[in-house]
Amino acid sequence: MKKRRINGYLLCGLIITGVLLLAALVGTFYTPFDPNAMNGAEKFQAPSFVHLFGTDNFGRDIFSRVVKGSGTTLAIALATVAIGAVVGTLVGAVTGYFGGVADDALMRLNDALTAFPSILLALLVISIVGPGNKYNVVLALGIVFIPSFARVTRTAFAGLRDVNYITSARLMGAKNGRILLVHMLPNTVRVLLPAITIGFNNAVLAEASMSFLGIGVTPPDASLGYLLSEAQDKLSRAPWYALCTGAVIALLVFGVGLIGEGLQKMDREVA
Amino acid sequence: MKYALKRNLMLVLTMVIVSFLTFLAFELISGDPAEAMLGTEATPERLAALREELGLNRPFLVRYASWLAGFASGDLGVSLHYRQPVWDLIAPKLEITLCLCLVSFALITVVSIPLAIWSYRWTGTVFEAVRTAFNQLCMAVPPFFTGILMSYLFGILLRLFVPGDFPDLRDQFGEALVHLFFAAVCLGIPRTAMTVRMMRSTVIGEMQKAYVRTAISRGNDRRAVLTRHVLKNSLTAAVTFLGQTMAELIGGSVVVEQVFGIPGLGRLLVYSISTRDYPVVQTVVVILAFWVVLAGTLADLINQRVDPRLRLGGAA
Repeated sequence: MKKRRINGYLLCGLIITGVLLLAALVGTFYTPFDPNAMNGAEKFQAPSFVHLFGTDNFGRDIFSRVVKGSGTTLAIALATVAIGAVVGTLVGAVTGYFGGVADDALMRLNDALTAFPSILLALLVISIVGPGNKYNVVLALGIVFIPSFARVTRTAFAGLRDVNYITSARLMGAKNGRILLVHMLPNTVRVLLPAITIGFNNAVLAEASMSFLGIGVTPPDASLGYLLSEAQDKLSRAPWYALCTGAVIALLVFGVGLIGEGLQKMDREVA
Repeated sequence: MKYALKRNLMLVLTMVIVSFLTFLAFELISGDPAEAMLGTEATPERLAALREELGLNRPFLVRYASWLAGFASGDLGVSLHYRQPVWDLIAPKLEITLCLCLVSFALITVVSIPLAIWSYRWTGTVFEAVRTAFNQLCMAVPPFFTGILMSYLFGILLRLFVPGDFPDLRDQFGEALVHLFFAAVCLGIPRTAMTVRMMRSTVIGEMQKAYVRTAISRGNDRRAVLTRHVLKNSLTAAVTFLGQTMAELIGGSVVVEQVFGIPGLGRLLVYSISTRDYPVVQTVVVILAFWVVLAGTLADLINQRVDPRLRLGGAA
């Protein structure tokens, strides 16, 4: 029997992402300080044991703000990926399985859309649905991520279409819906999972970019991107603000990126 | 030559489709520009007069055609916010963004390809995991974060440039280039990491092919096979990827311009979105889209020169 090696990428990625996820989850009901409470006596405090990430120009605790903000960022990214993955898989499954004119037309449209930088498409959609609202951000990013998921799943479904076990399922009289859901979908998880990790990272970065530009999440909601734009103005007085916020974004994307790398490595080893 | 002609025709067709979709999208959402321009001063007579003046009471397709014709001749309408011809507004900013993207593109190309070959040599050693992790980290750091770090380190501490104060591109070209260089580095880091990753896996895939095994079994030096044969065969993948990079850079520049206070196209776009200045948004989007399509076409054309197999039909 072959000895199974521990997948280091996957493990490290899961640990980093898990810790951040846990912190964000706890942050929804408990933070060390009120993220919006001002304290005139403690302006521009450098990081210490009381204020782990220091304080900003109003004396607000940056650690609490970052924890709360990462909750918003994570929620938006998850919702976005959910929209992109579900709708994208649906489109990919139908076009990949049935083929035909609809497949050709949709894939040409897809080609055109995936050619564009996601941030540009998101900006276009947000300018149509209206900036400055977190639901619109989710909508805009969700729409933007549909094509890439559709492309990945279409290839997987098209590849499975004429495989023996699918043909045999069809001969046994299984309905198309059942074939797609029960027989094909589980076999596309292999390609879907890495796609989800990549999509999640793109969503985190796109949301952060948009909020940073001031057309994403706006107060009272605060996401990591918004915090970073706030931090930029105070760069000379409180460099730790930008440093800590940016580091959390980078760590989150890094962690999920490692999971994706690990999944692909696992896949290569199995195959 | 036939291929180039076909590809150029496709380019024109894609551009027409893209511009039509953009025009349609803004047609559906922007409401009545006449009302937006007049605001509270709107009276039925003045609205009618302005609509007449702007040509808004013509059919949709006629307006699209005249907009397209205007696009070709440089007459892009008037900004709702600045009350100034859109082209005059965009032209100087386009120049700056173009410079930023070109500097960044040059950096990515020059750095990533040697790095990819170098990192290939590490395959199978202890350093591989470290390298992969570092590569992932570079991809994870968002450009606006590196941008903030750089403007703190080089701008505020070392005073190599003044963040937010972009020198005139024509009068102080040197200073402007320094400013653009730091922005270009931030823009290029994640993309460089991606290029290295892509190139490395292409080279690995190529090295497993039969011709490599044959060449090595004939007694050729591994390194010589890599540089003489494998790299040539990896070139098309690299060109395609760099074409996408060119397209991706224009998206990234939107954010980086904001960080460094570079008055480019991206900043104009963001500002115009928040002020709902649709004629400007529309034009910038179409210009950026053209850029993307052009980069793809250029990559295809170069590939077709590089790889004779593409030239002789087949995959084309």
